[in-house]
Amino acid sequence: MTAKISLRSVTKTFDTLTALDDVSLDIEDGTFLSLVGPSGSGKSTLLDLLGGLAKPTSGEVLIDGKPVTGPGLDRGVVFQQYALFPWRTARANVEFGLEGGTLTKRQRAERAREFLDLVGLSGFEDHLPHQLSGGMKQRVAIARSLAYDPDVLLMDEPYAALDSQTRELLQEELRRIWKRTGKTIVFITHSIEEAVYLGQKVAVLTSRPGRLKDVVDIDLGDRSNDDLRSAPAFVAHRHRLWELLHDEIRRAA
Amino acid sequence: MTATLEAPTVRTGPKPVEKPRKKSRLSKAFRSSAAILLFLAVWELAPQYLLDEGTRTFLPPLSEDLVALWELILNGQLADHLLASLGRSAAGFVIAVAVSVPLGLLIAWYRPLAEFLNPLLELARNTAALALLPVFTLLLGIGEVSKIALIVYACVWPVLLNTIAGVNTVDPLLVKAARSLGLSSPNLFRKVILPSAVPTIFTGIRMAAAYSILILIAAEMVGAKAGLGYLINNSQVNFQIQQMYAAIITVSVLGLAINAGFVALERRFSTWRVKEKA
Repeated sequence: MTAKISLRSVTKTFDTLTALDDVSLDIEDGTFLSLVGPSGSGKSTLLDLLGGLAKPTSGEVLIDGKPVTGPGLDRGVVFQQYALFPWRTARANVEFGLEGGTLTKRQRAERAREFLDLVGLSGFEDHLPHQLSGGMKQRVAIARSLAYDPDVLLMDEPYAALDSQTRELLQEELRRIWKRTGKTIVFITHSIEEAVYLGQKVAVLTSRPGRLKDVVDIDLGDRSNDDLRSAPAFVAHRHRLWELLHDEIRRAA
Repeated sequence: MTATLEAPTVRTGPKPVEKPRKKSRLSKAFRSSAAILLFLAVWELAPQYLLDEGTRTFLPPLSEDLVALWELILNGQLADHLLASLGRSAAGFVIAVAVSVPLGLLIAWYRPLAEFLNPLLELARNTAALALLPVFTLLLGIGEVSKIALIVYACVWPVLLNTIAGVNTVDPLLVKAARSLGLSSPNLFRKVILPSAVPTIFTGIRMAAAYSILILIAAEMVGAKAGLGYLINNSQVNFQIQQMYAAIITVSVLGLAINAGFVALERRFSTWRVKEKA
């Protein structure tokens, strides 16, 4: 079986700076992969490459075995700063990626309503972004990316600007959405805890230049525990990742 | 496990404050117009009680000017001059907007062109339009064409420069987001860049509307047969001082009204921008 996403010896340099160095990684279909690394480890660069917003200097980025040549609706990108169109209502923002497709106006509206409902924003369809809180804006952005049904969701520190309570809530929701939709998700974060909570696997990048240090499988056992983050399995995984990152963060600082 | 959602809290635009009581609204209206009321009172009383006879002739009390204004309204003269002025400024304004919005979009879209032209645009903008009035008169004669051309010239710059600025200050993240959705360049322009530039463009349009009146009045003082500027100048020459002030008052009110209208329109176009930065 070929991997959904495949990075083959990917290197990306900007002038004299090497952002990513010889990164190879396969991500199976339907996997939730968290990506952690110190700042300057090329996390966002990697996401740009996957999104088709940049091209690797050498190596290959494959989706379904085919090289990425540019952006496309088979991948959805969610940014840290939401990137909602401020003149569009929540619903019109969600419809954005559907316009130019085959759906009629009514079908688009229906679709948008459906996905706003999925992220818990029923009743807020006609609100403009400035009328929504940070967490709600990010929900709209997630709905927008899910609405055109991409196979892959690329998320660039989407919760970094949110308060911790909203953050935990959205993490929980994201896992629920992932289970329900079966998307392949690549989730960049600088929070080890977030990476462990969300990911089936956590990939660790080294500090500049970004190399793949390790990929850790996460198995938390029974997730129905009310306070999952205090469970021994969780703590053990977090500690393991902390050790992996520790030297890197020190080198980067 | 079914995740239950908190009831999301929402910040709606204007806070649902209690309705201001009648008294406070009245006092607010008074405070916001107190300076004007005081000014009008001085205008009325100073000529009557403080000024000597000679000065009083050139600065009659407000009430006399208002009587003259009322006469101008009744005999239809004011309407004639007002229409003549409005026709010119509207023609110049519309031509300027019609030319400079598309031109500005074009210039901004081709960044090297914008960089090339920008110093020239700055120079032109900072050249007072009225300084060029003699030039326009020499080239286009003393009639309507030169007056409208002058207004076009004055109105083009704010619209053009604001259009360019509006396009250039689009949030790069929005462009990136749109690109990640696979938008083509024409669609990117139409669906992201243009709407996000609209409020800035409209600010330029509002400025142009104000200029169109300001410049026109001065232009009409030279070689016009009708118009508010002509009326002011002509009244002065014929020593109809009250009528001169009546025309000046009309110009002020007209300028205020046009600006207020455009401010209201602008607010409608940019509800999202005002609060976005908050």
